[in-house]
Amino acid sequence: MSSIEEEQEEQEKQEKQQSVLVLGGGVCGIQVALDLADMGFKVYLVEKKPSIGGHMAQLDKTFPTLDCSACILTPKMVDVARHPNIELLTYSEVLAVSRASKSFEVTILKKSRYVNEDKCTGCGICAQYCPIEVPNEFDQGIGIRKAIYVPFPQAIPLIYTIDKENCIKCGLCERMCEAEAIDHNQQPMKITVTVGSIVVAVGFQLFDAKNKQEYGYGRYDNVITGLDFERLVNAAGPTGGHLARLSDAKIPKKIAFIQCVGSRDEKSGNLNCSRVCCMYAIKQAILAKEHIPDADIHVFYMDIRAYGKGFEEFYTRAKEEFNVKFVRGAVSEIVEIPETKNLIVRVEDTETGELLEKEFDMVVLSVGLTPPSDSEAIENILGISKGEDGFFSSPDPQIFTVDTNIGGIFIAGTAEGPKDIPDSVAQASAAAMKASVALVQLTQEEKHVEK
Amino acid sequence: MKNEEPKIGVYICHCGMNIAGVVNVEEVAQYIGKLPNVVVAKHYVYMCSQPGQALIREDIKQLGLNRVIVASCSPRMHEPTFRKVLGEAGINPFLFEMANIREQVAWAHMREPEKATEKAKALIRMAVARARLLEPISKIEVKVVPRALVIGAGVAGITATIDLAKKGFEVYLVEKKPYVGGHLALLNKLYWGKDASEVYTSLVKKLSHPNIKVLVNSDITKISGHIGNFEVKITQKPRCVTENCNLCGKCEEVCPISVPNEINLGLDQRKAVYLPLPNCYPPKYIIDKENCNSCGECLKVCRKKAINLDEKTREIDIIVGTIVVTSGFEPYKPKGEFGYGKYKDVITQLMLERLLSQNGPTKGELIKPSDGKKPRSISFIMCVGSRQELKEEQGEKPLNAYCSRFCCSSALKNALLIKERYPETQVYIIYRDIRTFGRRHEELYRKCRESWITFIRYKPEEPPKVTEKDGQLVVKVKDWLFKVNMEISTDLVVLVEGMIPREDTADLQAKINVTRSPDGFFQEAHPKMNPLDTFTDGLFIGGTAQGPKDVIDTVYQASGAAAKAAILLSRGRVLIDQVTATVNEEICTGCGKCTKVCPYTAIELDEIKEVAKVYDVKCKGCGSCSSTCPVGAVQVRHFKDAQILTMVENLLPFKED
Repeated sequence: MSSIEEEQEEQEKQEKQQSVLVLGGGVCGIQVALDLADMGFKVYLVEKKPSIGGHMAQLDKTFPTLDCSACILTPKMVDVARHPNIELLTYSEVLAVSRASKSFEVTILKKSRYVNEDKCTGCGICAQYCPIEVPNEFDQGIGIRKAIYVPFPQAIPLIYTIDKENCIKCGLCERMCEAEAIDHNQQPMKITVTVGSIVVAVGFQLFDAKNKQEYGYGRYDNVITGLDFERLVNAAGPTGGHLARLSDAKIPKKIAFIQCVGSRDEKSGNLNCSRVCCMYAIKQAILAKEHIPDADIHVFYMDIRAYGKGFEEFYTRAKEEFNVKFVRGAVSEIVEIPETKNLIVRVEDTETGELLEKEFDMVVLSVGLTPPSDSEAIENILGISKGEDGFFSSPDPQIFTVDTNIGGIFIAGTAEGPKDIPDSVAQASAAAMKASVALVQLTQEEKHVEK
Repeated sequence: MKNEEPKIGVYICHCGMNIAGVVNVEEVAQYIGKLPNVVVAKHYVYMCSQPGQALIREDIKQLGLNRVIVASCSPRMHEPTFRKVLGEAGINPFLFEMANIREQVAWAHMREPEKATEKAKALIRMAVARARLLEPISKIEVKVVPRALVIGAGVAGITATIDLAKKGFEVYLVEKKPYVGGHLALLNKLYWGKDASEVYTSLVKKLSHPNIKVLVNSDITKISGHIGNFEVKITQKPRCVTENCNLCGKCEEVCPISVPNEINLGLDQRKAVYLPLPNCYPPKYIIDKENCNSCGECLKVCRKKAINLDEKTREIDIIVGTIVVTSGFEPYKPKGEFGYGKYKDVITQLMLERLLSQNGPTKGELIKPSDGKKPRSISFIMCVGSRQELKEEQGEKPLNAYCSRFCCSSALKNALLIKERYPETQVYIIYRDIRTFGRRHEELYRKCRESWITFIRYKPEEPPKVTEKDGQLVVKVKDWLFKVNMEISTDLVVLVEGMIPREDTADLQAKINVTRSPDGFFQEAHPKMNPLDTFTDGLFIGGTAQGPKDVIDTVYQASGAAAKAAILLSRGRVLIDQVTATVNEEICTGCGKCTKVCPYTAIELDEIKEVAKVYDVKCKGCGSCSSTCPVGAVQVRHFKDAQILTMVENLLPFKED
């Protein structure tokens, strides 16, 4: 073999090993992908939804600075789309991972969008003509979308997807699409990639508030979750940012926030604190006051955990500047008044010992974070362990939170336990660091063996 | 380019309903479309989205635009986005201007849509005027020296150093103290019984890496230069003990000088020659020159001839491409509150850690500092130096309004440990809110409750009082939940102190030029999206230098900061936009006023030509020099006087002829 050929082979080998798989395209996965790509590694970013962005894309503002969430997230999303080292695989899932000597062979299923990704321009004419309207899951089912849709206007990639469960195959979209991108017969595709390292950043799922029956979520129209609230106050949301009751579109004047719904609660199956709910409730209380200045707002809590930078100051502002009333007590029950659809909140104020029965126009449940829905599947595919709380866990969680029991595989963000955006982003960079070290060591070992 | 007629495209963003809900975007577009040089004015739902960007790219191609204006949000987030679009379409990214009609118009004048629409027109009109005079800006390439400096060798600094070294980069780890490990070295246990000294030992072992140079007893004296090429001056104080030291300890036995031991927070004494901690790294004795009387006794007993009392301070100059600041925190020192300083048995939590540690002053035996007896009852008072409130009537300034984040879990960890080791001890936790937000920390709280630790909730308006009655400490506190006044006879009071910025933060800040947030800690570039970057390029922060946090959060933040440094080092070069000051040598009188106002030392006097000279790489384009120059010889590219003044002139509407 000539030296040039050898060099080529060496280069190919390096290219093969120096790629990495990032699972999950929320803010954490995005940061992992960007950091590794910026270091020069080839990154496959796999997201099961049609767009990257995760939960952060659904939020209105962020605490404690009240920065607009989409405004600070979308530049990073666009960076992902543009990065020459990132191959973005949305609407895709990892099917299998096998260990091939020192690297991982990953089989990825690219689900059918029934829209040709190379042809779709994202113009949206198809959705204009599509006659089928279904609740939009991006808007927490409050707004509607068509059967051919993008989850939100800044979606990355901006490619439409046909929801076959609801599509009636009328063919209108196909007729209207100038780019001829609609393909009702598109087949799912299997892709195999070889990577030297894997970072799992699959995020969390919200606690299902229906499981807390005494609060009536799903039964009472005006009991909503924190994420429902985010969509209701968002200018791009289903109400155009108009904070209104779901029962009668009236402006709520009395709003209650209930903390620790599905957190710190043995009955709900989660003993632990979800780390973000106190702050997002305080933020939402302030946003409610900004939308409805004369609103009367109560937050029912056990402990207010305003622990991060500027958090305590934000909490103080809510109390002093916005006159949000904080009542210490665990709410025992919510009852709806059938005529008005108002809600009676029953709670013992543990500071006064009084049993309160207060009437509200709207109740917002500050639901906690639970392990991602597909954590079991990922556990089976990758062989990485979970903690008792169901989140993925490092064998040494006191120091090296991003490690797993399998060398070369790392975890980050809320897949590793509840945390807020900056902590997820910082941990994302940490996982990128560890993955890059694993990749470098792999190359070094390989060279050593060859010699 | 200069002679080319400006062809301006203006794009007005709806930002969903954020802008379009207030501003009449159609009216604005029509108005702007009629301004001179404006070839096209459009409005679109989200300019930052992919189709929004495609709109600009297409128009540049089709209409031959050579200037672009986007009227949308603050340039903070999306100016880079749109500049990239221009770059991709083949025109210089700086031929772009942004008008902020969201924060400055739609949000500020939500209830006055007509006036808001007029203001939007005015702002865009000004942007059009400026766009006409914009000039292309070129880039300067800077090579990155493949070496990093890590400031501060606590658990954060050690972690970042090891990560970078493993990635293949040379790292200097500089530490003020004579040993590495920071506060981790002083702790007894982490959560769930994990031994802090075991963690310490396993971490410092990894510092023996060919890529790592550890400089303890050292201080940064000066940092100059810029991203990719920082010149760093380090002063290493004499240790007076050489590599030959075999830790026999004879010197310590004969040393006649005893001083309070700062490592054990004054709970015991040490000699002037001492080993800071039995397992410390580097494992070497040190002579404390401030207290040593040079009697020479140690010299006589040292068989290895490892003592050199004449050792001099060393000056070390290094050049690095990037800097990671992990300078840590210091514990809040109670200022006499809760009887601290008055009663010997009122101690801080860090003192408690030392008392519980195997390598502490009592070899891990928990005793009362006053008489050495075992305490039968211990009271923890939480939020000491944290969540402090303003008491204006008393003329007190707010100290630390923030929560220190680590202390609740840390105190519960210690309370539980005491209950396990000394089950007969009564333990009281006197708290405001229990903030056990960390993973599995709620279990810790639950376990404390199950272990019969008593929790008493106080309100900040009625803080607990520590007094003494017949030689017995008494904590008086009103339990807010049970509405009872309690008097707790207690043997030991532990003040759970918060974290504060290090005393030398201002000193370090002056050297590294990193801003601080209102709480006094170093400020990250963005509280959500860039928690590890700073506003100084090439400089990253991690751990408690940025704000209070526990070991777990500190460690991943440090690795994250290392990742940011690694990106820079891996790339090997950076491109810097030449938005910098220029000097018109014909007008410059060489008065030197500009050199005095420059915060970046980027402008100097050329002694031969007797005119000011700008170092492009260091210049940030802040404009201090330009506004100071008495003769108008200094102009900043992209912000030239003419480019600014034309905006002022266009603020008022044209007379429509």
